[in-house]
Amino acid sequence: MALPKPRVNPALFFLIPALTLIAIFYVVPLFLSIYISFTPLKNWNIQKYLGEVTTYNYERLIHMIRYDPDFGMVVKTTLFFVPVTLLINVLGGLALALATFLMEEAVSLPTRVLWILPRMTPVAVYSLMWYYFFLGDASGTLNNLLMRLGIIDQPVNWGNDPNLLPYSAWTILVIVNALVGVSFGMVVFYSALRSIPREHIIAARIDGASTWQLVRHILIPQLRWHLIYVTVWQLLSLLTTYTHIFLLVKWGAVHKYWGSTWALYVFNKAFEAEWGSEQGLAAAAATILVIIGSVLGLIALRILGYGKMMGEPRGEL
Amino acid sequence: MTLAGTVRRLAARLIPRRARLEAEHTTIQDVETIPRRRLTLVIGLAVLLVTIPLITLYLLLILSSFADRMLSGPDIFEARYSLENWKLLFQGKLEPAAAQLYTPRDLLVIIANTFIVALGVTAVVIFTSVMAGYAFSRMRFWGRRRLMEFMILLHAFPGVALIIAVYAIYVWSLSGIPRDVLTAYRFTYTIFARAALEIPMSIWLMKGFFDKIPWEIEWSAMIDGASRFRVWWQIVLPLVKPGIAALAIFAFLAGWEDLIYVHVFLYTGGIKTLATFIEEVIGNIETAYLPIAAAAATLYLLPTIVFFVLTQKLLLEAMSGGVKG
Repeated sequence: MALPKPRVNPALFFLIPALTLIAIFYVVPLFLSIYISFTPLKNWNIQKYLGEVTTYNYERLIHMIRYDPDFGMVVKTTLFFVPVTLLINVLGGLALALATFLMEEAVSLPTRVLWILPRMTPVAVYSLMWYYFFLGDASGTLNNLLMRLGIIDQPVNWGNDPNLLPYSAWTILVIVNALVGVSFGMVVFYSALRSIPREHIIAARIDGASTWQLVRHILIPQLRWHLIYVTVWQLLSLLTTYTHIFLLVKWGAVHKYWGSTWALYVFNKAFEAEWGSEQGLAAAAATILVIIGSVLGLIALRILGYGKMMGEPRGEL
Repeated sequence: MTLAGTVRRLAARLIPRRARLEAEHTTIQDVETIPRRRLTLVIGLAVLLVTIPLITLYLLLILSSFADRMLSGPDIFEARYSLENWKLLFQGKLEPAAAQLYTPRDLLVIIANTFIVALGVTAVVIFTSVMAGYAFSRMRFWGRRRLMEFMILLHAFPGVALIIAVYAIYVWSLSGIPRDVLTAYRFTYTIFARAALEIPMSIWLMKGFFDKIPWEIEWSAMIDGASRFRVWWQIVLPLVKPGIAALAIFAFLAGWEDLIYVHVFLYTGGIKTLATFIEEVIGNIETAYLPIAAAAATLYLLPTIVFFVLTQKLLLEAMSGGVKG
């Protein structure tokens, strides 16, 4: 259709509000932060340190990755935490969405409400609940339950017991974060399932499809875009998440290093005095995280077929 | 469906005669998805099994809000229960310290602040991403693919690292703001800064929903002479209601639960939301009187549940007719 093109692309009108906000609150701060990673900024002393430019932070980080055992624990924790939690979040979210979609609404809605609760709970309270759940003495919920069932006879210090580390601490991190993450997949997939035209499902049923065939051949193929979206989004979220475990580490409910991910390390390094309050180093660690995240995100998009999903719009008139 | 409606429906299931009528109704309504009641039972039981820890945790939280200490399971029969925590909460005596000294706070103002931020973020996010999502799904423009890719990668940048710089911009902009609109400015800045964090994700989400709408709908409207804007507003938007519902949930929750942005931009100006308030109460876990935090947290959860249920209703309504193309 060879109509003359308008002088100003109408897409601009639709894009400007979003792009303006992203530029002011995302792109500009992003570059400012990268700049800070090249300064020796400490204790928020902006006047004193912000003028210097040095690569010392990056040299130190590389040195720490190779020789510092504490930082090594943080790296290993991140390497375990991200893929395992991602798998649970995506598959668990999909399973929950399908289950609630197939259930009757009177059961489905309360179930969805229950599973979104962790996301809605104030972070401090959520941490508090898990703190008591995994508490190391006999009054901890898990300890008490296991002792009553006769499975253990001594209370176990789940987050810190040297015999169980690092796996017990890692399990706690995964459970605490997965329960928050699963609801994201559930809400997105459920909305997507709901927006599949009912005619498709009715037609499949008339043709005699079983529930499994319906799920396998009708429902899941329609979720392709949403699956890519949730996977990549959750991958990047997990790389940078720290809030839900921040207090657990602070309160000593999990081991200081076996319970810390790279993102939490960044936060603690920048804001917590006992971890050093070195914003320059924190910004450098954050920048490395960004680079890793960008590369992983790009690879994930390629593998999952982003190019095909972003096919040209075919309806230009 | 409202909460009351849900309760009524659940209650109806327990009464045999009404249950039979109800079942008949559901069978007709959901014939295409639910061929057998046994399926619901099996799936329901499986989900219930994995939900038990969650139910336990939240029951303990709600019980704690009526108890004289934080409950962790075995002690629920030993604690003393009263309405004391809730009374203190509504009287604004929110921070019991040693020797029962209270710092008075106006709970209504705190709740109002929380709503301003949450609804503000929701409005900004929906407005911007519904527009941009449409452009990405339907329009051809330079850099479309790259921009979309860039958008999702933005998420790789931790909010913590961003906030250092966002704060610097905030301090710099404050010098030009007159005193009498300072509070309004603080709110506006918080809302826009927090919303900006949600926008890339929301655009991606919306694009997915716009993609599902058949092109023929737009073609026919445009051939009839409708402008691009009118097509978007009157024809396409009503069809993506489920997407907007999902978007609204995430945006509202982001604003409602935000701690870091609210803490940095509002708290320094003496403005509190429920989240920063609860954080303050819990403060030091060793000395804090935690049941009050449990009560505040239970109170905090109520509007989010209502909001979630309302958006779910919208989602169901919008799709009951299916997409007609």
